[in-house]
Amino acid sequence: MMRQEYWTLMDPCCDYCLHSWDNPCAKYVVCRVRGPFCHKSVECREKRQRRVKEVLYGSQGVRINIGASSCGLAAGAEKVIEAVKDGLRSMGVEAEISAVGCLGLCFMEPFIEIRSEDGPSPIYGHVSPENVGDILAKYFEEGSVDGAFAIRRRTGRFKDEERVPLLDELDVWRKQVKWVSRNCGVINPESIEEYIVTGGYEGLSRALTMKPEEVIEEIRLAGLRGRGGAGFPTWLKWKICREQSSEEKYVICNADEGDPGAFMNRLLAESDPHRVLEGLIIAGYAIGASQGVIFVRAEKPLMAARLEKAVEDARRWGLLGENILGSGFSFDVRVMRSAGAFVCGEETAMIAAIEGRRAMPRQRPPYPASKGLWDKPTVVNNVETLAHVATIMAHGWREFAKYGTERSKGTKMFCVTGGVKRTGAFEVPIGTTIRALVYDIAGGPREGRMIKAVQIGGPSGGCLPERLFDLPIDYESLQEAGAIMGSGGLVVIDDTNCMVDVARYFTSFTLAESCGKCIPCRVGTKALYDRLSAIVEGMGSQEDLQLLEEIGMMMKEAALCALGGTAPNPILSSLRYFRDEYEAHILEKKCPAKVCSRLVTYAINQELCVKCGLCAKSCPVGAIVKTADGHFTVDESKCIRCGTCVITCPRGAVEKR
Amino acid sequence: MSRRISSGNIIESLQNVQEKHGFLPRDSLIKLSQDTRIPLSRIFGVATFYHQFRLEPPGRVTIAVCMGTACHLRGNAENYEFLKRFLSIGPGRSTSDDGLFSLEKARCFGCCSLAPVVKIGDMLIGKATPRELQRAISRIREEILREEAARETRG
Amino acid sequence: MKVRINGLEVEAREGEKILDVANRLGIRIPTLCYLKNVYEGASCRICVVELGNGKLIPACAYEVSDGLTVSTDTPKIRESRRTTLELLLSAHRITCQNCPKKGECTLVELCSECGIEGIPVCAECPLHGEDCFIARGEICLGPITASGCKAECIRDGRACEGCRGPVTRRDVIERARRIYIEHDISLETVLERLKTYCASSHEFDLIREYLIVKEVVKE
Repeated sequence: MMRQEYWTLMDPCCDYCLHSWDNPCAKYVVCRVRGPFCHKSVECREKRQRRVKEVLYGSQGVRINIGASSCGLAAGAEKVIEAVKDGLRSMGVEAEISAVGCLGLCFMEPFIEIRSEDGPSPIYGHVSPENVGDILAKYFEEGSVDGAFAIRRRTGRFKDEERVPLLDELDVWRKQVKWVSRNCGVINPESIEEYIVTGGYEGLSRALTMKPEEVIEEIRLAGLRGRGGAGFPTWLKWKICREQSSEEKYVICNADEGDPGAFMNRLLAESDPHRVLEGLIIAGYAIGASQGVIFVRAEKPLMAARLEKAVEDARRWGLLGENILGSGFSFDVRVMRSAGAFVCGEETAMIAAIEGRRAMPRQRPPYPASKGLWDKPTVVNNVETLAHVATIMAHGWREFAKYGTERSKGTKMFCVTGGVKRTGAFEVPIGTTIRALVYDIAGGPREGRMIKAVQIGGPSGGCLPERLFDLPIDYESLQEAGAIMGSGGLVVIDDTNCMVDVARYFTSFTLAESCGKCIPCRVGTKALYDRLSAIVEGMGSQEDLQLLEEIGMMMKEAALCALGGTAPNPILSSLRYFRDEYEAHILEKKCPAKVCSRLVTYAINQELCVKCGLCAKSCPVGAIVKTADGHFTVDESKCIRCGTCVITCPRGAVEKR
Repeated sequence: MSRRISSGNIIESLQNVQEKHGFLPRDSLIKLSQDTRIPLSRIFGVATFYHQFRLEPPGRVTIAVCMGTACHLRGNAENYEFLKRFLSIGPGRSTSDDGLFSLEKARCFGCCSLAPVVKIGDMLIGKATPRELQRAISRIREEILREEAARETRG
Repeated sequence: MKVRINGLEVEAREGEKILDVANRLGIRIPTLCYLKNVYEGASCRICVVELGNGKLIPACAYEVSDGLTVSTDTPKIRESRRTTLELLLSAHRITCQNCPKKGECTLVELCSECGIEGIPVCAECPLHGEDCFIARGEICLGPITASGCKAECIRDGRACEGCRGPVTRRDVIERARRIYIEHDISLETVLERLKTYCASSHEFDLIREYLIVKEVVKE
């Protein structure tokens, strides 16, 4: 085994410890933090405890966490890391700088958190290279947590602690249950050691001491249902696959998250990749598979890289490979990068992609659980489901089943985006109302706006109007109301968005992503899109609405896979709840939200206009003319409503009416 | 690990080709077909199915406009139209006339909270507006041209 | 195992598809994309049948299981087939006169079976072995007249007079216009003939718009 220059918790503590990948020890994982078990040695014990503290709070006792998953990096986390290093150097303070995952509080990216064992652990949002020096100086030199978004503890040792709210008291945090996302934004995702210190791989250790049937039973008792959308009981899928008599079986982790508006799988896999991997190994053990595949979306390279690193580390420490932890169970995992096709989220299509074919779904049954990858029994579970599996195995089904409703247990992550104050990924018990999620946790509408609907479940889901916001979010309630849970993307639509345009957008998405195998989806999405386009361009008729419903209902019934079968949901649900908006487009030729460019008129607000003439110059048809008194006006008869003038005007003087 | 999973997987071979050339040159596909004994038609079938693969050489800098829900609702459709005009990219084309920029619609980057998002090269621009894009692109264009000029004078 | 199709109980083997069992019973389930042992991908969704729980599934790809109950002809099935076919037609160039499959077209047969409007009579004409009258220079209303006509006159070797009423689908009429112009047949004469069987002046105006007025605008 390769030695690093410093000792880590994963290494043997002394010559007594014999664990290696070719000579595995059953207690390896639990022994790391609580051991040593096989020999009595105060020295070894202390050595380990010292290391645990070092891992948690750095060798200097202070650790600065910086959120550096894709979203944090996009918001500039890299520059912040550099600035933090500079700041610490100039102050002469030594502290560990750690790139952690995402807390799910995306609205305040990039964030930093200053952790020490007995400190208040302040979390700062909207950190930039400019203000980070100030934050560090206040904390380290003045002993103040001023400017923090929240603190985790009140210690009484820091100034301004009373002025900063406690994280647990904030609405955005209080109503969440951090079950599967407990490590997100807390640990360094690239360090297997940190995962072990926070109780990682204990679920696997426990599972390996049980019979596979007992593992399946544990998941049944927990009541876990697939978090990918349809909500099929996970244990049942496993049981069916387990009962197949086949020497070769596969388990696939669906990390091909493609729903626009949903990113909880990316967040989980980027922030806590080992948890996903652990769940995958447990699933493999339960069904009797020897190989696993993680199918990652190509557009999310960081997620793939972190999962690859996790697989590599797990393999190195004997948590993957032959005879895992001495149980006799052998399992290996391969990360495969998808080449990008939304339909890959459908399990039979994903299997086709892994086999190297065009990702076209096939008729089910036979389900993959009996005939999947290379025609062998295969279980496909999504990232969040597997992360739940690992957590359930570590903490027991009772802890999990405490949350949720009668029929849907546990917690679910939701990504709230669109017209709310606090966008982000939040984990709540299933059965939480939409209102609690959108208003309490996500902070309600943006300044001066009004929320009119949420779209749940992406292009496969439906929109629900404000008056249904007291609906509990669970699989059945949503389905009855015309939406679906989907993977948990929740887009908040406010009064600046047009429902017809939103429906058209989703249809354009499924139209582009339809694989073209079956007629209902291939031609149906096109027909739906054409009708919707006619409506937003003011050429629709009442007949079109009827046609939309007719085609939509047929697609729901007759399409080959879930992509086509759910494609009409955004249209059918918005027709159900927002028919008046459709009718305004058709009968009055007006777009109430002033979004559909063909149905709005442009005018120049003379009070804001500075008469620079840029709009007139940019207009492709010369519809903006200068009048005799020096004003600019829009000639309605010439205007083609392209909207260029709105974009060009430096003062925002061109208005839609 | 399993030979079955890795062998014959055209997708991964194509990904390697694209990584090397930036796109899928016809000759490479023909060679791949000969090496793997997989019919060329099947290889093309796979190459045209997935978004990741391109059969045309890309511009020097790729501009990807996210077309996810949140980005759409916050105005990325307008940004896309703007970029098309600003880079004077004609209908049915994806690369600007000077060959510097290619424009593509992308699926969700998973940064919905920063919507609308546009990715220029490796740089992600969150909360993008036409004005900001214009500035960024002009800066990059200048940089490239300056670099080229410098190389010419050196050469 | 036992399967129940349209109320008839029948013995079936493991792994058999509903379509096979139905065929053995002599129950016809229409298919389009299915070709045994060549293509069984269940793409066209024409062969949908209804299960006991009301779900529609393709008979060509669904394996039977013990106690399965299937209906092959219900309003729901007919509705679904019709919409599917209409969608397919919306993306189909119905140029039956020049089609190489002329005379053995499953699509046209299916359309007349499902009572789809919008397929012109001349699609059926070649099925009956008739040559194209328009090509012979005769004034035939086939291209703009609704199909489903089993009238004697066509089989008689006479050009269509339009007694089933006109098709009002724009794409069909525009295609017909091209055919007429191609064969030097005066559009006015065609319209004059059509008047007799037009149910309403609205229909007639619509067709005139598509046939003639549009052309004038273009010029």
